[in-house]
Amino acid sequence: MRKAIPVLSIVPVLLIFGGGLSPREARASNGIVGVEICMGCHEDHYKTYMISTHSKKGIPGSPANQAGCESCHGPGAAHVEKSGERGVGIFIFSKKIADAKSKSAKCLSCHGEGRDLAFWDMSRHKASDASCDNCHTIHSGTRKNLRAAQPDLCNICHRSIRMQQNRISHHPIREGKLKCTDCHDHHGGFGPKMVKANSLNELCYQCHAEKRGPYMWQHPPVEENCMNCHTAHGSNHAKLLQSKAPQLCQSCHDWTRHPGTIYTRFETFQGTATGSKNRMFARACLNCHSAIHGSNAPSLRGKTHVR
Amino acid sequence: MKSKGFVMISIVGALCLGAGPGRGWGAEEKKISGEVSLTAQHLNLEGEKAKFNEYGDMQDGFYGDVNFQYERGNYYLDFRGSEIGRKTQGYELLGGKWGSFRYNFSYDQLPNNFTENARTFYSGVGGGSLTYPTHPPSTNFTTWNKFDYSLERKNYAGGLKFDLFKPFYFDVSVARETRKGVYPIGSAGTTPGGIALEIPSPIDYTTDSMKVEVGYNKNPLALSLSYNYSTFQNDHKSVYFRNPSTDNTASTTDNYTLPPDNDCYKFNFRGAVRLPWNSKFNANLAFSRAQSQANLFDSYTANVTAAASNIGVQGRTGVILNDYIFNGKVDTQSYHFTLTSNPLHFLDGKVFYRYYDYDNRSDPITTTDSTATPATFTTHPFSYQKQKAGAELGFRLPASFYLSGGYTYVQTKRDREDISKNQDDILNAELRWTGADFMLAKVGYERLHRRAEFESPQGLSPTDPKNIETYLRRYDAAAKDRDTYKAVLEFFPVQDLSFSFGYKRKNTDYKDTILGLQDDKRDEFTVDADYLILKRVRLFGYFDYEYVKRHQFQRQIPSPTTAYDPTLPPTATAFNWTSTQTERNYGYGLGMELYLIPKKLTLRLQNDYLKSDGYADYTYLLGTNPLPAGRSEDNIDISDWDDYRLQNYLVKVIYHMTPSISFIAGWAYAKYDYDDAQYDGYQYVPATTGSSGAYLTGAYQDPGYRAHVFFLSTGYKF
Repeated sequence: MRKAIPVLSIVPVLLIFGGGLSPREARASNGIVGVEICMGCHEDHYKTYMISTHSKKGIPGSPANQAGCESCHGPGAAHVEKSGERGVGIFIFSKKIADAKSKSAKCLSCHGEGRDLAFWDMSRHKASDASCDNCHTIHSGTRKNLRAAQPDLCNICHRSIRMQQNRISHHPIREGKLKCTDCHDHHGGFGPKMVKANSLNELCYQCHAEKRGPYMWQHPPVEENCMNCHTAHGSNHAKLLQSKAPQLCQSCHDWTRHPGTIYTRFETFQGTATGSKNRMFARACLNCHSAIHGSNAPSLRGKTHVR
Repeated sequence: MKSKGFVMISIVGALCLGAGPGRGWGAEEKKISGEVSLTAQHLNLEGEKAKFNEYGDMQDGFYGDVNFQYERGNYYLDFRGSEIGRKTQGYELLGGKWGSFRYNFSYDQLPNNFTENARTFYSGVGGGSLTYPTHPPSTNFTTWNKFDYSLERKNYAGGLKFDLFKPFYFDVSVARETRKGVYPIGSAGTTPGGIALEIPSPIDYTTDSMKVEVGYNKNPLALSLSYNYSTFQNDHKSVYFRNPSTDNTASTTDNYTLPPDNDCYKFNFRGAVRLPWNSKFNANLAFSRAQSQANLFDSYTANVTAAASNIGVQGRTGVILNDYIFNGKVDTQSYHFTLTSNPLHFLDGKVFYRYYDYDNRSDPITTTDSTATPATFTTHPFSYQKQKAGAELGFRLPASFYLSGGYTYVQTKRDREDISKNQDDILNAELRWTGADFMLAKVGYERLHRRAEFESPQGLSPTDPKNIETYLRRYDAAAKDRDTYKAVLEFFPVQDLSFSFGYKRKNTDYKDTILGLQDDKRDEFTVDADYLILKRVRLFGYFDYEYVKRHQFQRQIPSPTTAYDPTLPPTATAFNWTSTQTERNYGYGLGMELYLIPKKLTLRLQNDYLKSDGYADYTYLLGTNPLPAGRSEDNIDISDWDDYRLQNYLVKVIYHMTPSISFIAGWAYAKYDYDDAQYDGYQYVPATTGSSGAYLTGAYQDPGYRAHVFFLSTGYKF
């Protein structure tokens, strides 16, 4: 951009000085200089603006129907008069110039009444001093004006989630089949962890409706919170479990006979134990107790989730 | 004069700069743009194709991508198709009129592959009736039938949003998801002490959902009322199977109940009103009902009239139920109120209250089974309520510091015998500094203190196994203290260069737990770097490390016994033991983008590596009693516990021959190695009877692979 300025600025300079126009005549009385002046120095930003929905005259209230670039950046006359130094005499979306609140206020002045931002004030993002431009820029040239695609965009801040998404048991996030915003209300909502539901289970049932039941034989920790056993973003263990069976199950179930029995290397396929191996090899407890989300089977078989 | 001068500038400016596309259009100006691309791919794969294509469909052949945008005046249309021709294809059509309405239609496919070439002695895989010709089934798995464990999801969705009568709006959306395939389930041959049976279960689900929402958005009010309805249908309510454990005849089959049909509706009101002092009151009120109905079996097998010797286990020829139709019903209510305020420029505040009630009104079913102890027992539908209240404050301090903190109280009451109530106190604080352009620093801390009302079982006979509950604390509700520490440091020393470092420690201490999970410790480190050199070379990289350690204290006891107390001196059959599981997870990525000819020719190189090392450390606490024969404290441990290594390489060249025509060529390599003691030395039939017996199908075993993918793509933009 800095290389382009000497060339592109010749045109408005000629217009202004070579064409016999003074700086005072170049601006409207409210300090608005117009999109064409901005384009003279900021052609790349102008091009991306023209790709974005903000440039559509068909949208009521869009910057194209107001002051173009200056709808967000403020009147440009002072900026032009002061030779156009970065951030001088103009509002730019930089933390050097403006804090999160004032940056977001620019966007909310138009988008605040949208249904997507009705609950921005109570969002964790706002409380963490995130501003609209952390994720969006109308100069991105992308859909929804995002700086990057999901999940890369979200992972810029949520690095521990990136680590989990890369794990071997995961939702299809990195394959592009599930986005962060499919589960989370990034602009603010009422759900725990900003999910798009009133409880975590309610969210999970949207895709896993077969787990909704209700079942005759329930598994109470399952009913209360799927995250008691699972982790949503990724795990080293099958089925996004927090830890492996049998340890995961035994941390809650200790009883006579096999729930409380110690299962070691000796109980694996290659171990030399003479019994109890089917509680350890392959899927361990789930070799028999597969109906752990609930069962309608009769009598003890339903109660113990083996049918 | 001034206005004439302004007009003159505008005209001259337009002439100098030229008019053309992108200048803003008149009401009827059309704009068409888009891109089509075709990709040829060659795959060279060794190993487990299902794991490589867990959510994908990479194979030899061609696939296409297309996107198309059309605008005319205030109307617009956007169509996208991705991976056309593959099982991962997706299509989306968006459109509407700015400021009036929007519509969207989409279709998406998602495969979920688990295991290719699994094996079973059953015939009829994919259906609800599995059988084998002669009993007992062959133990030679090479003669068994082959099949794949996989699912395919198809999602169809559409929606309309009307903003024609602003500030009122109306939204409606519908969706259908189908899921078909075969999925492994496990079943006990006989209980207790019997073999395990791995059964290929049919999956044929359809979930339909609908949402209607009306709302009003205009300062100071934002209101909406929505209705959601979802219905789930399962074409198989059970899978019937001939059970090799019970010597079923071909006409007498065991059954495994599958998820019942269910439906759910929800009414949800959400509102917000702006108040003085930069405040806002937000409310969410919701009611939902989920229902299911299932015909209950009164027998373990399908044919109750056959002779007792070949229809059931331990003579369980039938059970008596008080009702043979189960009506499941769960009502939830949710009330959430939040007041946010920014009364002074340096002060942010929030107070909130939340109530959630999960009321299970399902039929309690009483079972009488003469072979069970006790012979009569009744289901107890599980319900719970949760209340949460708290406050948060944030202060903008001098020198670009921001200090925030909060307190939250959570109370949970549940219909559970062991822990019926929890009370959580959660304190959190965070300090952020943004005082320098080139740096951002953040530290945070959270303390969770959970109290649990534990109720010990009363009135039990000394040999009742339930006596163990006196000492057991289930971690989902057990009392605990959890400390979480976080720190983040980000540097931007010069333009186009950034570093970040992150650290998180989470320690959970289940302090009152005697038997069960004792503690859980986690440490995470993350490092990221990104550098654009002279706008010609971009280097980027990341490194992630996590260490996890979980420790359990358990007790092994025979039956019958009175030795439930863990403080009793150990015997050879009644003793305590511990298990400590650790995981070391590493991940790094290094990449380079070389802009050989800016905006024309780019070379991208990337390497990603993931490694996980797990370990399970066991200890017998037998005192002076010897360990079982052949075992020592060292040789019982497991060093391969979900260990894996995933190595990826990518070389990609992107060439923009013209602004419209581009080519991409490249090579990708992926290598995945998995090692786990539970699958090492896999056997389809380890034994045919007893507690080491099983008939397995190979689900999830040996998922390693090596794959080379060569691809060539051409794209045309218009």
